[in-house]
Amino acid sequence: MNSMSTRALAVARPVIQGLTVLNILYAVCITLLLAATFVMPGWMEKALGLDLVSKYPLVPIGLRAIVVTGVIGAAIVHAILRRLLAIVDTVRGGDPFILENAQRLDAIAWRVVALEGLRLVVIAIAAAVWEPGRLDGFSLAPWLAVLMLFVLSGVFAHGARMRADLEGTV
Amino acid sequence: MAIIVRLDEQLHARRMTLTELAARIDITLANLSILKTGKAKAIRFSTLEAICTALECQPGDLLAFDPALPSEE
Repeated sequence: MNSMSTRALAVARPVIQGLTVLNILYAVCITLLLAATFVMPGWMEKALGLDLVSKYPLVPIGLRAIVVTGVIGAAIVHAILRRLLAIVDTVRGGDPFILENAQRLDAIAWRVVALEGLRLVVIAIAAAVWEPGRLDGFSLAPWLAVLMLFVLSGVFAHGARMRADLEGTV
Repeated sequence: MAIIVRLDEQLHARRMTLTELAARIDITLANLSILKTGKAKAIRFSTLEAICTALECQPGDLLAFDPALPSEE
């Protein structure tokens, strides 16, 4: 393991824990925001000095739907961070090539797919209630990340099998 | 497993202990013990060569196949 990856591993745990806390805070804040749109309708537009509702009457409903999508996204990110932390712990413990890590990487890959799906949902909602094309569409990077995660999952599964073979080799 | 390890017989014939063999071939006693008790899944050629050199025997003296025994899988 080179010095860069050793340093990255050393900071990974606190960074993931910090991100987990930030993600929970984000989920709480947008949930409160969602509740506020029901208790005090129109306050956000007033606070921002925007008058979108007169031109786009479906915007409040669309914003609520986007906030719900955001809460779902936060739950997915939480699941990803928990699995990532478990993987980092196994690396720190010196035993990363286990089938559980391959399953975790597989689960992370599917959750990144779900997040990308949610992003497309947000774009679709924005296009429906606001103006089509206002939010960006397709991005290659998340799909490359998904591909890399599936490949890594396969590498870990293979590594786990090889390690199991080596364990009984004299 | 249908493969039988006859390390114990070879050691007994040469009045050698497992600890002595481990010291001669530079393999841990724990690993040799795994081999002796038939718990090993595989054996490296280098290990086999070292044991055969130390015990002055052939691989066939150490390993045997008994089809009556159940296979690992």
